[in-house]
Amino acid sequence: MFSVSHKTAFVVDHCPYMAESSRQLIECDMLTKSRSQGVIPLAPVSKSLWTCAIECSMEYCRILFDVYPTWKLVNYIVSDSEVHILNSWKQEDQNTHELMAALAAVGPPNPRQDPECCSVLHGLVAAVESLCKITEYQHESRTTLMDTADRVANRGRIICLTNAKSDTHVRMLEDCVLETIQEQNKRAAGSDRLMPIQQCELVLVHIYPQGEETLVSDRQKKELSSMLSSEVHSVRAGRYLASKLNVLVQQHFDLASTTITNIPMKEEQHANTSANYDVELLHHRDAHMEFIKSGDLHMAGSTSRDSGLKETVTLKWCTPRTNSVELHYCTGAYRISPVDVNSRPSSCLTNFLLNGRSVLLEQPRKSGSKVISHMLSSHGGEIFLHVLNSTRSTLEDPPSISEGCGGRVTDYRITDFGEFMRENRLTPFPDSMIDAAGRTPVERAKSQLERYTRYWPMIISQTTIFNMQAVVPLANLIVKDTLTDEDVLTCQKTVYNLVDMERKSDPLPISTVGSRGKGPKRDEQYRIMWNELETLVKAHVGTSERHQRVLECISACRSKPPEEEERKKRGRKREDKEDKTEKNGKDTEEKGWTTDSERLKGVMEREKDEQSECEIIKDSPDSPEPLNKKPRLATEEQQPPEKSKE
Amino acid sequence: MPTAVLLDSSLSMTRPVSVEGSEEFQRKNLAVHGLTMLFEHMATNYRLEFTSLVSFSSLWEVLVPFTRDYNTLQEALNNLEDYDKTCLEAALQGVSNIVQQEWGTSCPCQVVLVTDGALGIGRGSLRHSLQTVKQRVEDKKFPLPFPFPSKLYVMCIANAEELQATDSMDNLEQLINLNGGEGQIYTMEGPLCLKSVQSMFGKLIDQAYSPFHAVLRCGNLTSDVQVFPRPEPVTIDEEVDPMPRTVQTDLEIVGFIEIGDISSPPVLSRHLVLPIAVNKEGDEIGTGATDDTEEETSTNQMAGKSPNFCVLLHGSLKVEGMVALVQLGPDWFGMLYSQADSKKKSNLMMSLFEPGSEPLPWLGRISQLGPASDAAENPYGEDDSKSPFPIQPKHKRSYAQNVTVWIKASGLQTDVQKILRNARKLPEKTQTFYKELNRLRKAALAFGFWELLKSMAELLERECTLLSDSAHPDAAFQLSHAAQQLKLASSGDSKYAAYEHNITPMLTDFSGGGGADRI
Repeated sequence: MFSVSHKTAFVVDHCPYMAESSRQLIECDMLTKSRSQGVIPLAPVSKSLWTCAIECSMEYCRILFDVYPTWKLVNYIVSDSEVHILNSWKQEDQNTHELMAALAAVGPPNPRQDPECCSVLHGLVAAVESLCKITEYQHESRTTLMDTADRVANRGRIICLTNAKSDTHVRMLEDCVLETIQEQNKRAAGSDRLMPIQQCELVLVHIYPQGEETLVSDRQKKELSSMLSSEVHSVRAGRYLASKLNVLVQQHFDLASTTITNIPMKEEQHANTSANYDVELLHHRDAHMEFIKSGDLHMAGSTSRDSGLKETVTLKWCTPRTNSVELHYCTGAYRISPVDVNSRPSSCLTNFLLNGRSVLLEQPRKSGSKVISHMLSSHGGEIFLHVLNSTRSTLEDPPSISEGCGGRVTDYRITDFGEFMRENRLTPFPDSMIDAAGRTPVERAKSQLERYTRYWPMIISQTTIFNMQAVVPLANLIVKDTLTDEDVLTCQKTVYNLVDMERKSDPLPISTVGSRGKGPKRDEQYRIMWNELETLVKAHVGTSERHQRVLECISACRSKPPEEEERKKRGRKREDKEDKTEKNGKDTEEKGWTTDSERLKGVMEREKDEQSECEIIKDSPDSPEPLNKKPRLATEEQQPPEKSKE
Repeated sequence: MPTAVLLDSSLSMTRPVSVEGSEEFQRKNLAVHGLTMLFEHMATNYRLEFTSLVSFSSLWEVLVPFTRDYNTLQEALNNLEDYDKTCLEAALQGVSNIVQQEWGTSCPCQVVLVTDGALGIGRGSLRHSLQTVKQRVEDKKFPLPFPFPSKLYVMCIANAEELQATDSMDNLEQLINLNGGEGQIYTMEGPLCLKSVQSMFGKLIDQAYSPFHAVLRCGNLTSDVQVFPRPEPVTIDEEVDPMPRTVQTDLEIVGFIEIGDISSPPVLSRHLVLPIAVNKEGDEIGTGATDDTEEETSTNQMAGKSPNFCVLLHGSLKVEGMVALVQLGPDWFGMLYSQADSKKKSNLMMSLFEPGSEPLPWLGRISQLGPASDAAENPYGEDDSKSPFPIQPKHKRSYAQNVTVWIKASGLQTDVQKILRNARKLPEKTQTFYKELNRLRKAALAFGFWELLKSMAELLERECTLLSDSAHPDAAFQLSHAAQQLKLASSGDSKYAAYEHNITPMLTDFSGGGGADRI
């Protein structure tokens, strides 16, 4: 977790000698033939050692931030007569834009500054001090571990870009770093905000102008102490330095290179022709794991490019055939960074991907067989190299789901459950979003699923209410955590509407599955419907007082078994009513009605009864008369039921 | 997780074992008895497992390639032949090859080695192999550790005392160590007989072939399921306290996401989720000795006819093109989705994400995903035209923000030419001209490349002199203005060289309102 690559301190020498020219000339006056007559071309420009160091280190950071947007941190330090620390370990400081702005403020080295008081040593000392500083990630990890906080490691790397005088000078720099580490570790031991350095890698890059002999010799990594190792690279400025830092960033962060080949691109001059281009990408080397393990690395078309410094695996572009609604079996996804970010082929490829398209990549094999092994795809403006499984699946030919449990049932409520899934789709909430009950968003999602499924019949023939358009408003509302008065009103309207339907004897979509003949009679159908509706609402009655009111409305309005009507007639007290609503569902289910005549009587009595009951519970105009719907709605608005209830 | 059975067919396996009864057994017979038991178990409870049977002596031979046909495997067991001496290294290499050929190197595989523990003598013996393990050249490496994730189970048709008397046990333990500790050695307890071989294979079955049963839950809707292949514990490679994580037997759905939003996520493994019928006593139908197949069929039919949540879920996931996000344990999630094979048979599948709070960068932290209905505004839009995913990172990546890189000379030349091209089309291209000019200016300032600013200024001044008579008068003004601004910046004077400062077009009589409009 906290390896050497967690912290990288860049130390760039800003002393007067860095203002020296790299002597790599760049012709920027590219005169076109038609205009070149009589014009003397401008002298070519050349970058200073400083410019070379800055742009190569920025390139290192660009690749690093592309591939590891978090956890791998850079602290950028410039050293002359004093130290300029351009950013901190904070995650928000980790981007090239901020660094470029800070570098512009520093400007190029001043060749007239007194060389005696300038040194890269100041920067190296500052880098060691900086490595002792705790990062947000280390802090978080230490806080969570509490007692075992000392197990959080502190390691880091210092990359120093300088122009050294000699091997002895290099030795002096190394000694200075070692001494500073020892000193700083002593200080850090007594501080909460500092951590002693357990391991530090010093990478010294000596930059010298082209055409000169180097005064410093290359040296491989060497342990200077148990804490410090050091290596020296002596590199000519210009493209040599660029490829050196490119190799270093790959080594330091376990990167590997993939070249996408055969990318069809329209020619700039001839829009109707297309040629094939290659684009090289860097990414975590695990994206090549399958090749490495199977020993296929060379077979997969790995070649050396650019002065033989690095290897790249070649994958072939397949004409896009994939779309976003296809789920590929993907075993890894790794962020990429193009090596040559603003070349035309690179930006063509990245823009194609950023626009939401995906590309399958084929692994060239000697046998000529075609194996799709990777996919390039972007998510939220970041491009990932996906590793696709290309071997035989152990899950092939499984028994179809229709052969297993529940496989023979044909009337699942597939569409309804689809609707349910849409209603229970997830969305990200900001980190601070915790509700009053202290629940995280994901806990709220689970509790919503619990509420929505309290009564959820899986097959069409098991339900009546969910097959009725008329019930939808109530069914959608009752599952909610909180209801507004308006919601209660909507639910009540739904109930009145059902009462209306019953009075008009509208047919119900009752399943005839399993019953002989035509199925239950009309009033029996309504009894089943009311029972089911009560079951649904009862499941939510404990949620709030307003949910309770919906149940009360149903109990008051629904057709009731005659026995109860009798009891009611015998002078039931108002207090009994609450009690009854609880039992009502069960009672009706258990008792059932016997004869049609009895039922008819029941209906008539219910209507009578309802009138009186409506007076008590809600002064609703939905009692049997008047039958005109329009004025009813108007009255409702004037007299909200909750007011009349009080 | 396929299984490769590696059966010792050397002569030593024909050694008789002394038994109390009348019939005389060879160790080979005990091995066959144990494997028969294993195959029977798999045929009943683990029938989707692919198994291969390989026999070995000084040579090795694939008797049955990977198959789910346990009758064929059983048949091969009944027709074993006896060969010469034991030479394990070649056989392990053989197994390694056949597994890689069939399944590649990422599919985990179990290797069951059945041997009497007489591991050969001299060259080709395991002892010799292990002694020379460190002196191998690149292409003659010892086959362990296997290049694919693996478990090596060694079933010894011998008891521990017997193996400890020689160095066999040490050698076998070393073998497991070479495989990164992934595996186990089983020995027989007590006398070598059918009963003890049964108990030994019973332990293997419990360890490696017990089916994984769980309850799939979506609120109050539930289904009993078998997850195949069973999910193995996962250890995250963290420095602090690496603890293996196991999938809990309560798989709780937390919500739903569109396939396009989850977008081919990387997964650790894939599993079939098969609904199972559990009868009232809580025993699974089909386990135990069920001789009465008729009864079994009828119970299966019953199970087929009663509604099951898995089937409902599968159907809707398929129709809607969605996945269900499922919690596998603390801070560990996976997804359920419908997967169709080439024969159009479809199934409910579960893929496991990497354990952790943020397995997919484009979904963000899973604990921060909540019901869309809680949001102030429907994140999917009223007509389902929007999506809250993917989550955008705070900073754009380099390839998405037009960065300036001049490492190659061509990069710099392209940028200079772009400015000159626009300079020749002034005043039409005023806006692009200044945009490109400012981009170059910023980069030159950051890189401390003041010389470039001076050269660019000279180039613009020259363009000014080359303007034709028909050129718009504004062009000359803009060019000299831009050149002057660049020169000022190249002086390093903080007033003109500020990074965030932008050169703005000069307001001229010619550009007037129209010019300002363009900017």
